[in-house]
Amino acid sequence: MSGPYRYDEQHTPPAPERVSEVAITTFEHAFEVDPRLMQQWVLQQTFPNWDTLRIMSSRHDHLEWMHAHFATKVIHGSELLAGLEEPGDLDDPSVDSPAARPTREVLP
Amino acid sequence: MTITAERVDEVVAALRHVLRADQVLTSKADRYNRARVPAPFPVHRWADRLPDLAVLPESTEEVAEVVRIANQLRIPVVPRDGGTGLTDGAVPLHGGIVVDVKRMNKIHEIDLANRTCTVGTGINMLKLNEELARHGLIYPDDPASYPCALVGGRIGTSGWSLIGARYGHTRDLVLSFDHVLPTGEIIHVGDGIGRKITKSSSGYQLKHLFMGHQGTLGIATRATLKLFPKPEAELSPFWAFDNYDDAYACTGALARAGVATFAGAVLFDEHKVAYLRRDDEAYIPQPKDVRALVCAVMYGYEDEVRPAGRRLMRIARDHGARYLGDEISAGDWAARHDRYATPLHGRTKAGQVVPMSWHCEDASINYTNLPAVTREWHAVVAGLRRKSDVFDDWGMFAYTNGSTGADYLTEIDVGIWEQQLDDRAWELWVRAKRDLAGVSLSHGGSISACHGSCREGEVDLVPDELGRGFQVMLDVKRTLDPNNIMNPGKYLLDRAYEPPEART
Repeated sequence: MSGPYRYDEQHTPPAPERVSEVAITTFEHAFEVDPRLMQQWVLQQTFPNWDTLRIMSSRHDHLEWMHAHFATKVIHGSELLAGLEEPGDLDDPSVDSPAARPTREVLP
Repeated sequence: MTITAERVDEVVAALRHVLRADQVLTSKADRYNRARVPAPFPVHRWADRLPDLAVLPESTEEVAEVVRIANQLRIPVVPRDGGTGLTDGAVPLHGGIVVDVKRMNKIHEIDLANRTCTVGTGINMLKLNEELARHGLIYPDDPASYPCALVGGRIGTSGWSLIGARYGHTRDLVLSFDHVLPTGEIIHVGDGIGRKITKSSSGYQLKHLFMGHQGTLGIATRATLKLFPKPEAELSPFWAFDNYDDAYACTGALARAGVATFAGAVLFDEHKVAYLRRDDEAYIPQPKDVRALVCAVMYGYEDEVRPAGRRLMRIARDHGARYLGDEISAGDWAARHDRYATPLHGRTKAGQVVPMSWHCEDASINYTNLPAVTREWHAVVAGLRRKSDVFDDWGMFAYTNGSTGADYLTEIDVGIWEQQLDDRAWELWVRAKRDLAGVSLSHGGSISACHGSCREGEVDLVPDELGRGFQVMLDVKRTLDPNNIMNPGKYLLDRAYEPPEART
C-alpha cells in the first residue's frame, strides 16, 4: 500500500478541547480521558487517526447489529414526542400522574 | 490440586473408557482457563480454585457416564457453561472435574407449530437467535452477558433477563430439560413430565428445584425452550432528571402503567450518573443538572409499540423528564445486551485512572424500599473506598423484575482493581458483600434477583433469608447427592453432611 496513512499527519488528531473536568474531545464525538489522569497506572496510548475513527465506526456497527438482532425496526422517541399534544392524548385518567402517586393502604 | 497425581491418573483412565482423548483435558492452561469467572476473582489465590481436569462431553449419556464415574470415585464435579456467572457457580472450590458443556451446542429441533425449540444446553442465545430469526422467531432470554452466556448456565442460575417484564425470565422461558443427577441418573423435568407443556399441575414442580442450584444438584444437558415472534419494533427512550426523587417516581409510574409491550424500566441514581459523566461518551457532555436517568423499553408490533410508547413518553414528561434524544436512547439500550465486552477502568481517590474489573452486587427489592436500600448500599461501598483504592463506586440502578412494578433487580456496580487484591482487600470485600446482603434482608428483600447468592460473604446470610427452608435445602442436597460430589463447597451445603446437631 502506498497511502500516507502511516505518517505524521495521521498521528496528529485535531487539537483537543476540554469538555469536562475529566475529559477532552478531539474528533467530533470522540472523547478521551484527560491525559493528566493517565500518568501513573495506565498510560495513554497514541492511536493513528484512522484507528480512532475505525474504533468509533465499529462501535456504531455493533450497536446497529444489535438493534437488528432484536427487532426489525427501531422507533425513536422523537417521533412520538411530536404527537404528544394531539387532542385526545391528554387527560387520560389511567395515567399514573405525579399528583396521584400511590400510597400503601393498610386495612384494619 | 485437591487429589493426588495418582488419583488423577486413575480418574483419567476411567474417563477414557467413555470419552475420546480430545475430550479429557489436563493441561495447566485448560485448567486455569476453566477456574475463573468475570466477577471479581481473588487472582492472588487463583491456584486454590483450579480443577484437576476438565472434560468436554457431547451428549447427555456422556455427561451421565462422567458423573457416574465421579460418584464412584468420590471426585468433585463442577458444571461449567459460559462461565459468565457472578456468584462463582462455575468456580471449583475443591478441585475435581470441570464438565464443560460447550460442545453440546446443537439445535435438535425447531417446532414451528408449537413454537418451541430443543437445544443442547451448551448453545449460546445469540447463536440460537441467529438461526431462529430465519423463521421470524426469537428466544428472548437476554442477560447482560447475552453474546457469551449459554442456555445451561441460565438454567443453573435461574437467570434474569433484561426484557423479562415482557417475556419472562429463564424460569418462564425454559419449558423442560434433561438433567443428570449427582448419581449419574438421567431425569427429565418440566411442568409435569411434559417436554413442551407450559402449565401442568401434576406432581411437585421439580423444574424450579433444578433451576438456580448453581450446579449443586446436577447438570442440565438438553432443554426445550419457549419461542416468540421476533419483535417488529423496539422503543427505548432514555430521560434525564434533575433529581433522584422525580426519577424514582417516574420509574414507578412507568412500571405501573400496565402497558402490554412494556419490557422493562431502569432507574439510574446520582452515583451512576457521576460515573457515566466520567467515562461514557453519551453522558460526558450532559449538563450538570442531570442527576438521575430513567429508561423504558418496549418490544412488539409497530402498531402496538407506537401508541403505548406515547403513553410512556407522556408519563415521563408529566414527571419532569427531559428526553435525552434518539442517538443516546437507541445506542445506550443496544449496548446493554453486551456489558461484558466493555473495557473498564476506575479511579484512585487522587483521580488517576486504574484498570478495574466490574462487579455488580444484586438483590430483589420492593419499589417502596429502593431509596433506603440505595442510600445504605452506597454507605457500605463508601466505607470500602475509604479503606482502599482497590474499590470504586460506579453507581446503582434498579430494573423492573416484572410487568407490574412490585420489585426491582437492584444493583450496585463496584470497580475492583484485581491486580492489587490481597488477603486484606479480599476480606474487606467479603465483609462488604455480607453487609450489602444484610441491608437487603433488613428491607424485606431477597439477597439476589439475578446472580445467585452462593459467594463468600453473602452466602452466610442465606440461612437467615430462607429460614426453615434452608434445612429443606440441606435435606434435598443430601438425598440427591449422597456423596457430596456435585459442586461441593457452595451454598453452605457441606453442612448437609455434618451431624444434625451441627447443621444450624
